[in-house]
Amino acid sequence: MASYPKDVIRDLIDGKLPWQTTKPIMSDFKDERRFEIYLEILQERVPWKERILLPVGEHLYIVEKGAARIVKCDCGHEFGPYTENWKLEALVYVRDDERSLDEIYPGARKCDPGWMELREYYCPGCKAQLEVEAVTPGYPVVFDFVPDLEGFYRDWLKKPL
Amino acid sequence: MEKAIQTTAEAAPERRGCGPEGRTLLAALRHDRELLEQTGHYHGISDLRLKAENYLHYESLHARLRSAVVNARETSKKISASPGVREVGESVVALYTPEGDSVVLSTGIMVHVHTLSRFIQWMIERDYESDPGIAHGDVFANNDPFVSDVHPPDLMNVTPIFHGRELIGWVGAVAHELEIGGVYGGANQTTTAERFGQGMIVSAEKVAANDVIRRDFFVRAEMNLRTPVYFVLDEKAMVSACIDVREKVLEAVEQYGLDYYKRAIREIIEEGRRAHLQRMKMLTVPGRYRSVAHAGHLFEGKVGASPLSRNCIVQVPLEMTIDRGGFMTIDYEGAGRKMWNPYNCPPAAMDGGFFVTLTQFIDFDGKVNDGCWFATRMICPPGSWCNPGDDMTATSSAWGSLMPGFGSLQRMISRSFLARGFREEVFLGQVNTPIIEGGGINQYGQRFGGQNLECSSEGSGARGIMDGIDCGYVGWNPESDMGNVEIWEMILPILYLGRRIWRDSPGAGKYRAGATYSTLLMIHKTPLYNIVSTIHSDKVFDNQGMCGGYPGPTAKFEYVSRDTDLAERIARREPLPHVEGDPRRPDISTRVGGDFRVVDGVFLERPLRSGDLFQFFYNTGGGYGDPIERDPEAVRRDLDNGIQSIEIAESVYRVAARFDAAAKRHAVDEQATRKLRAECREERGRRAVPTRQWMARQRERLLRHDLGREVKEMYNDVFGFSERWSREYREFWSLPDDFVFTV
Ligand SMILES: [Zn+2]
Repeated sequence: MASYPKDVIRDLIDGKLPWQTTKPIMSDFKDERRFEIYLEILQERVPWKERILLPVGEHLYIVEKGAARIVKCDCGHEFGPYTENWKLEALVYVRDDERSLDEIYPGARKCDPGWMELREYYCPGCKAQLEVEAVTPGYPVVFDFVPDLEGFYRDWLKKPL
Repeated sequence: MEKAIQTTAEAAPERRGCGPEGRTLLAALRHDRELLEQTGHYHGISDLRLKAENYLHYESLHARLRSAVVNARETSKKISASPGVREVGESVVALYTPEGDSVVLSTGIMVHVHTLSRFIQWMIERDYESDPGIAHGDVFANNDPFVSDVHPPDLMNVTPIFHGRELIGWVGAVAHELEIGGVYGGANQTTTAERFGQGMIVSAEKVAANDVIRRDFFVRAEMNLRTPVYFVLDEKAMVSACIDVREKVLEAVEQYGLDYYKRAIREIIEEGRRAHLQRMKMLTVPGRYRSVAHAGHLFEGKVGASPLSRNCIVQVPLEMTIDRGGFMTIDYEGAGRKMWNPYNCPPAAMDGGFFVTLTQFIDFDGKVNDGCWFATRMICPPGSWCNPGDDMTATSSAWGSLMPGFGSLQRMISRSFLARGFREEVFLGQVNTPIIEGGGINQYGQRFGGQNLECSSEGSGARGIMDGIDCGYVGWNPESDMGNVEIWEMILPILYLGRRIWRDSPGAGKYRAGATYSTLLMIHKTPLYNIVSTIHSDKVFDNQGMCGGYPGPTAKFEYVSRDTDLAERIARREPLPHVEGDPRRPDISTRVGGDFRVVDGVFLERPLRSGDLFQFFYNTGGGYGDPIERDPEAVRRDLDNGIQSIEIAESVYRVAARFDAAAKRHAVDEQATRKLRAECREERGRRAVPTRQWMARQRERLLRHDLGREVKEMYNDVFGFSERWSREYREFWSLPDDFVFTV
């Protein structure tokens, strides 16, 4: 079973590892301690103290806050329980006309705003663009991921949650 | 639909058959599935005994079988005359158990590893063993989607492997045909709304005996196809691959012993099943994942479109659950009804899309076979476009719905990799693959039909630690090769003025999607070339970004210019168009005189002729991460390489760049970039609203029925079809229980 030093994993997840080193990691058997080291690296980076239970995006984490498990942005903004869709507590900007779509897709390459809109969800704290949905107008906000945290920790990681 | 062939032969299952232990193949198949059901293990194999006893001996047999199928495919490619197979590699070869489960497979269009399984099992269930009979040297061919296929261009062949009187396995091979005799030339027929008009359909027929393909089968091809040489030589290529593997398997049986072989092939599958579950636990996170994709289609008023086909949006919702055992279920609940257009998917197509995704994301090495199939489940609502239950439906462009759907699956699996820390495996790869096809009179003065299968290599979606693959990926054939320009010019009446990177094509993100390309064709030496486009999405993007990345620009359009002054310009040695140029004033409209048009959606137009220009754009996928977090140096590099424009660098990536004419390269102003990015965050704060506030306004809009016709028809279709999805929809927006849209 492969295993890599923390520095290597840090560079890997940051996209800074040279391809010559990245490719063998992709091709080889995976390293069993990855999740553990991944959490350590992420925990060291965030400016807050709550324990990270599971990363769910580039900026978002499910963290332990007292007895609650909430979604939190690395900037510190808190969205609420992970069992609820964080997008409902975010800011949204919708590109649903030719002009706003043209900023991203000039000329003929844009979608027809009558058929599809782009919803940009921002963090109310740092205004990072957390997700973009490309959906028909009227489509419900997509709830991307509800992890089975208990099952994951107890049955798969064999660790207390 | 009840037909004579549909009735499973119940005739004396106890009669002696050619299957294992003297069972009929049907009894063997049922016995095998009972063992799986009862023990949870493939074929009831609870211990990998052969592997434990002598690991090297066991692995050497696996390696030998695998090299047999890989080698047979490579050799057979040289028999084919079709660039689809020779250049692009649109074929696959696989070995099966007597019950039709795959043991080993070659590279290539792995989609078909499981469609071949279904084909073999279709014949077993209909007692082909009795009639038409199964003997050494027989070959069975099929391209009927509702026997088991994605669409008619994929021609499959299987041959049994007999050891004495016992059938000990099957070999199968598939090749994608460039012409299959549809309404117009080509293979993935856009204009047909039913089974009919998709082309020549071969429904599970015995086409060879004693290793010789029947002459009448070739006669049929020659009488029913515009360019039969592809079909005829592809057929020979596949049959030769099947025979090649069969002989190598029999040699292996001699060396390893029959009992060893029979046990080993099943251990190999059980090992594949276990490895899949272990990997799920190693790489993913249990839970519920959701995604959606849409595909749009324009038919109304288009030249030659079926009057049965309406403009429509296909809703492709997908839910993936991973349970605590690592067992994955994917569910297409919320898919709408089957359609009067060619974008339906028969069950085998869904199988194929699922299988090819698994082989790239979870089961990419070791024992890659049907083992993973037994550790997963897929739910496709009966009567929907993804499970029509009606073999009269058209599926010739099935990929146009499959790819958005399985792109969603890739995205959801990627989200689990991200959560788990395996960011290097995050890959938003799969995107739709628009195809240029058609027919008419070719440069040799002959009637022809064919596809330009260069679409087999497009931009991929982004990865979690780096950009996507530029012009080098499609989901359905991970080998991904576009073929040489000269080859397509040889078989089609065209000359390429350009096949180059399409600037600003990648879905934007911290890591962008792979750049794709556009092809600018000069129609050449033909009085009549009916070009049709197929397998794409009109008016909507059919893919998504992730973690803040944008989708790739996949709403279909084409540029066409007729009655051009190209010949005069060439004579005067003036510059010609090669790329798109400024998307608001494309080069094809400024660098050549002619009747220029932008065609919205599918290309169904009057035929083209020599001197006309046609420009086609291939797809790419979604970006990953917030674009304003992209490394400005990466943006600068893209500017130098013509992948991005200064305009998009500024409006999307918020990078201040200029072209330094003296240095002949772009330069980034870092301070101005920081300022632009800070302003972007402020701008976002100003223009955005809290989601719940926006939702309240949206709810009012829905209550006013203020949506476009096609959107409302899409929702109404699902309301009348999926109770679960409709309930969730109405609950989400707090709409009345019986809410439907007024169209
Ligand atoms: Zn934030």
